[in-house]
Amino acid sequence: MRRRAVLMALLGWAAAADSLVAQEVFVRAQVDRSRIAQEDEVILSVEIAAPSFDQAAPPDVSPIQDFEILGGPSLSSRFQWINGRTSSTRTYSYALRPRKIGTLTIPALGLLIQGRTYHTEAVRVEVMAGGPQGSGPAGPGRLGPQRGPARPPSGGARPAGGPGVQLRAEVDTRTAYVGQQITLRVLLDTQTEVLNLGLKEAPTFPGFWAEEIKLPENLDLKRVQRGNEVYSEYTLLKRALFPTSSGTLTIPAMTYQVQVRRRSPDPIESFFFTPTETLTRQTEPLVITVQPLPEASRPAGFSGAVGQFNLSVGADRREARVNDAVGVKVKIAGEGNLNAVNALALPELGDFKRYAPKVSSSVAFQGDRLRSERVWDYVLIPLAPGDQAIPPVTFAYFDPRAGEYRRLSSPAIPIRVARGEETPGGPGIVVSQSDVRPLRQDIRYIKQAPGNLRDRSSFFYRSPGFAALVLLPIAADLGIFAYVRRRDRRHANARQRRERRARSQARRRLRDARRRMSPAGARAFYAEVAQALTEYVADKFDVSAAGLTHERIEELLLARHAPPQVRAAFHRCLEACDYALFAPASSGEGEMQRTLVRAEETLAALERSIAA
Amino acid sequence: MNPRRRRLRRFVPAALLALAAARPAVATTPAELFEGGNSAYEEGRLEQAAAAYEKILGYGIRDPRVHYNLANACFKMGRLGTAILHYEKARRLDPADPDIRDNLEYARGLIRDRVEAPEVPYPIRAIMAVVDPLSIDRMTSVFLAFYLLTGGLVGAIPLAQDPVRRKVLIYCALALGIGAAVAAGGLAYKIHATTAPHAVVMRDKADVLSGPGEDNTVLFTVHEGTLLEVRSRRGGWYQVSLPNALSGWIPAGTVEQV
Repeated sequence: MRRRAVLMALLGWAAAADSLVAQEVFVRAQVDRSRIAQEDEVILSVEIAAPSFDQAAPPDVSPIQDFEILGGPSLSSRFQWINGRTSSTRTYSYALRPRKIGTLTIPALGLLIQGRTYHTEAVRVEVMAGGPQGSGPAGPGRLGPQRGPARPPSGGARPAGGPGVQLRAEVDTRTAYVGQQITLRVLLDTQTEVLNLGLKEAPTFPGFWAEEIKLPENLDLKRVQRGNEVYSEYTLLKRALFPTSSGTLTIPAMTYQVQVRRRSPDPIESFFFTPTETLTRQTEPLVITVQPLPEASRPAGFSGAVGQFNLSVGADRREARVNDAVGVKVKIAGEGNLNAVNALALPELGDFKRYAPKVSSSVAFQGDRLRSERVWDYVLIPLAPGDQAIPPVTFAYFDPRAGEYRRLSSPAIPIRVARGEETPGGPGIVVSQSDVRPLRQDIRYIKQAPGNLRDRSSFFYRSPGFAALVLLPIAADLGIFAYVRRRDRRHANARQRRERRARSQARRRLRDARRRMSPAGARAFYAEVAQALTEYVADKFDVSAAGLTHERIEELLLARHAPPQVRAAFHRCLEACDYALFAPASSGEGEMQRTLVRAEETLAALERSIAA
Repeated sequence: MNPRRRRLRRFVPAALLALAAARPAVATTPAELFEGGNSAYEEGRLEQAAAAYEKILGYGIRDPRVHYNLANACFKMGRLGTAILHYEKARRLDPADPDIRDNLEYARGLIRDRVEAPEVPYPIRAIMAVVDPLSIDRMTSVFLAFYLLTGGLVGAIPLAQDPVRRKVLIYCALALGIGAAVAAGGLAYKIHATTAPHAVVMRDKADVLSGPGEDNTVLFTVHEGTLLEVRSRRGGWYQVSLPNALSGWIPAGTVEQV
């Protein structure tokens, strides 16, 4: 039909004048039928060809008095590229019903395009009294005598809109929940032979997830009766639509082009040619009310799935060894769309190492309902021996038929884990260790055993005991220092006194020695002299006389810087005494006298040298 | 002793006796109250558990375990500010307890405010790591041990006759003296950390103003559970500061002092 319209338009323009170029504005009004019954409708098309429709308004239809405007305007546009020139055509279509019988006129209609008013020509329509033969869908026979310009696409699937070819879109439900399946079918009812058909453009379904339902190779044919007419019904398209958001969604109109056989009244034409006609049919847009899923009763861990599902969880074995692989299959299958479902996680398992699952999903149609299946294949490696269990897996979905959420839970699967092949501690054993991971956090538990509750807010550092302990070592140390100082001082005094008395003591001993100076008392005499000498050194140097040897005396004298001749004299004197002690008979009184004098001289010299 | 206090002393045991006589079934000793609180907690009667623990504290028995259990009950009831307040109190009394430390850390993780504390240089950080888990009494004992040993060695030095022994004593006393000085520093830090006034925000949200009065500028906002250092008090206002040096005035009613 469209192709024909283009052809006609081109022919019309060529025949009219050279001035009819695509750049010019061209308006035309036409009806689909010039003779109708009173109950019928007539489609008025106002076609505008113009280079641009930026400033184009729909026609002013207020002058139409003889007809009632049932619907319209429905707008269709066409854009063409011919011989390097573009032309665009816009058609406004109205459905009109006559108000009376007779030859009625659709008056000239004004169109305001780019600031200028254009007028269509008036169109006449002959309206006859209603009758079965006159009313009803226009049969093919009607098409024959109808000459004139091609008809515009009809505004919809009106029963009277074409030569017994109707296009319908229908859905199984007008209200649905988000994610619930809506089955869309596009049906063609025809009374003539359809030679070819096709969608003008690929259908889009904004706001829906669409799954195509495959149609058989040969279209299903069904005979349906509408009123008195028998139609052949073909299903042209089926889609399973899943609303992705709530609110009012629209399934847009779809346009098909249908090529049908035209029955010609001219038998010669019918014999030699196959007269065909291309019709354009459009479905009505369908409005779907989509309800959101109830918020209030939404269970925790709701997966987002809408439909009817089954959950099955299975393990490929119930007994395993440590480090063996255990396959766990989590499967959800049922009617509905699972594409939007989040990953269904097997809970974290402490004593198993869990690998990322292999996820496979498939969809199939059972009848017109989408059935989905999703399988999570987990591989678990038991890490510890003992009676372990794979905990229950839960899956929550929304059942749109019942209008409520449902929750599936699989039973826990016990798995007996035996020790691995090698005994622990054996050579070459490999244990795969894993960290102990916290699964979730909570506060630690309350404290028990209150047997010794007491106020612990008083601190020891504030008590007098602490101050006492801090002061104690200070006081003790000060006491010790005082004591040591006093002791030292006393000690020093005693030494000084002894030193001072050394000379007088020595003199006293020598006097005693002189008194004993007799051959019989020689031993006592020498002992007394030796003692006077050693005791003098002992007193002078504040040491004990008992352990004083010659070497020790030499050391002490050297320390006091006694001159060598004095030291030598001292030692000689002492040695003489020692010698005489062991051989007392050898020394006479004269010898004793000399020894005594020498001792006195030595002591005097020593006293002088030490004092100096 | 002033007469009022004397009267009070006479009155309190009498009142307790009267209470015990009037309601024999009700737990009255702190141990019974504690047991009662624990069983209420276990059965999920958190309000009653908290009331029992609070009663023990009302007797003046400030035991870290009572504060801890009370904090747990408050935490489970969603009273984060009160929970943190009592965890802080429990931690001051027993800083070595890992449960108190962990729960306080966990509860702090749920506060809305995150305050970055300034970086502490290494040696101080190391000393703090050692000192923090010690209680104040334990720290006092450590200090006293060092101090008394040093004192003893210092006293022994003049008594030693042998110069070598004396030298050894001097070095030992020096080493122990350094130890005592460090322990004294640790104790001072501990005393400051334990007794320095802090306050916990008890409201969902509290504004910190530039001065003690409603007509001052709002400098910043803190949320329930945040710990503030109290620097001074004036009228019904606390001057508080955060570890990141932010400082201002907050109404005393919005916070509770630790």
